[in-house]
Amino acid sequence: MIRVVDLRKEFKLNRRARKELGGGPLKSPTIDAVDGISFECQPGRVFGLLGPNGAGKTTALRMIATMLRPTGGSITVAGVDAVEDPQGVRTHIGFLTGNTGLYDRLTATEMVKYHADLHCMDPVLFEERRRKLFSVLDMEEFANRRISRLSTGMRQKISIARTIIHDPDVMVFDEPTSGLDVMTSRRIVELIRSCRDDGKTVLFSTHIMGEVPLLCDDIAVIHKGRLYFHGTKDEFEASMTEPTYEDEFIKMVGGAEL
Amino acid sequence: MTRTATIFKKELTDILRDKRTILTMIVIPLALVPVLLTLIFKVAQRQQQRAETEEVKIALIGSDYAPRVEELIHADSQFTVVEGVAEADIENQIRVDSLDGALVIPPHFPDLVNGDQQATVKIYYRSSNTLNVTAPKLREVIDAYDDEIVGDRIRRLELDEDLFDAIEIESSDVSTQQEVFGKTVGGFLPYVFILFMFTGAMYPGIDLGAGEKERGTLETLLSSPANRFEIVLGKFLVVSLAGFISALLAMVGMYLGVRGIGEIPPEAMEVVWDILSVKVIVLILTLLLPLAVFFGAAILAVSIYSKSFKEAQSSLTPVSIVIIVPVALGLLPGMELNLTTALIPILNVSLATKDVIAGTINPVHLVVSYASLFLLATASMAFAVMWFNREETLFRT
Repeated sequence: MIRVVDLRKEFKLNRRARKELGGGPLKSPTIDAVDGISFECQPGRVFGLLGPNGAGKTTALRMIATMLRPTGGSITVAGVDAVEDPQGVRTHIGFLTGNTGLYDRLTATEMVKYHADLHCMDPVLFEERRRKLFSVLDMEEFANRRISRLSTGMRQKISIARTIIHDPDVMVFDEPTSGLDVMTSRRIVELIRSCRDDGKTVLFSTHIMGEVPLLCDDIAVIHKGRLYFHGTKDEFEASMTEPTYEDEFIKMVGGAEL
Repeated sequence: MTRTATIFKKELTDILRDKRTILTMIVIPLALVPVLLTLIFKVAQRQQQRAETEEVKIALIGSDYAPRVEELIHADSQFTVVEGVAEADIENQIRVDSLDGALVIPPHFPDLVNGDQQATVKIYYRSSNTLNVTAPKLREVIDAYDDEIVGDRIRRLELDEDLFDAIEIESSDVSTQQEVFGKTVGGFLPYVFILFMFTGAMYPGIDLGAGEKERGTLETLLSSPANRFEIVLGKFLVVSLAGFISALLAMVGMYLGVRGIGEIPPEAMEVVWDILSVKVIVLILTLLLPLAVFFGAAILAVSIYSKSFKEAQSSLTPVSIVIIVPVALGLLPGMELNLTTALIPILNVSLATKDVIAGTINPVHLVVSYASLFLLATASMAFAVMWFNREETLFRT
């Protein structure tokens, strides 16, 4: 489970960033990337963190994965406090970054093994889990090929395999289907569903509204670091006044000068 | 430590598959050093041969006043006397390379010599000429003639030769061949290994720090259970090892180069083999190790701070030139390893290497050198870890 309470993250702006934002030297030297958001992700459910680019999704996910330290509020992952015991949190989560984040000179197997070793996984257990994942993700064909020679879709599959190789309780995916072809996207959506069915806590961020009805059980909509909606998918649908998710989303954040 | 070992193993595998690293770390030191060494030796040998055989064109003005000088010049096959050159035209002819030099004997030369007085002759030459053998060769001729004249005067006046040679110096150099070799050739060795150590560690260092940030792989590593110190330590060990191996291979390359030349006098080679004792090799390796640790930590600190591969490269490339300065200082006459110079990084290694090869190393100075390098390495490592813990550095855009 992930519990986020009044989470805030403030970034210091350098002179160039202040200039780009149109501010003079006296303008605030900080920006609130995440401004007091709270939500809860339950085991056995898929939680969708929705928002346009620059909404603060990645910053929120990086704080949950303990890469960034919150300015305020609290995060608890699988019962572990993210500020007090960041290393403890990282043993419970699998984090898929926004880009594929792979080492081109390693093979698919080596890449996945590297992360298994960082989680101090038992070699026998690793091999068992690797076979299963490579089969589900249809990766056997390129298991021993260098990553530099693989397509975007293949690379994303490796990213996902390395994210969940250690069978974490909590899975955090940052835009997992972004830029992928239909077939690969579908396979990844299926994998996320199967993780949910296995009782895992799944948190994923997206700006593709079409994925929401396919995957999400719970939803949070954020924009400019603030929370605009938090509830179940059914609650979201019940409150909709527009015909599609996309229209509803635009209406919701439109008032905040999208 | 298990995670550090995992990171070390992965990073090592990764860099050993990088063509650029293989080139700077293994191929260049192992292949280029022997080739360069052979090339330098061959060119030097060729220049030496040219200096001994090349034609030296001179004008001889006033030879009638000193026929013996003319005889001595004709006796040397390297000289070619160009006739019909006026004294006023000598400088111009030398500048346009029609002549290499000239010897001018004045008309009153015989009167002065016969009157037991001192005569003056004038030589013209161009010191900026690449070979520059004209002046020494002309001096050789004049000196020979001078000896003959003085000898005649001594005999004619029935004087004792010792009258003109009141003190004779009897030299006794107590330096061993190893010491002489260490102080001269020993200064060249640090040039090679320090430069190769830095360049060998530079690419892996950039790749493992700034490169990882640029590729976006750093985030995946940060989300793993490895803590920041374990990550930095794993990377640092690989960068230092790359520098160490590179320096080691550069020395192997030098050895192969020396063996490949094959025309070094046997007595010089004997000195080389005497120097290559286990003690000297171990001491040089112990100097390489703290230097590799220092370079590894410093390069990684800069690399982690940099936003991109390009930025790290721009910051570190000038450093590879700057590090030559302390090495060059180490070659200056009078520069010795003492308690002050032992504290200056790189310079201490340069001076200590010379002393180790010469067999004159002071253990106290050696220990101070180690301590200085390890202290700086620890400071650089602390910087690297500090920057790795700062969000502003890791996610700098």
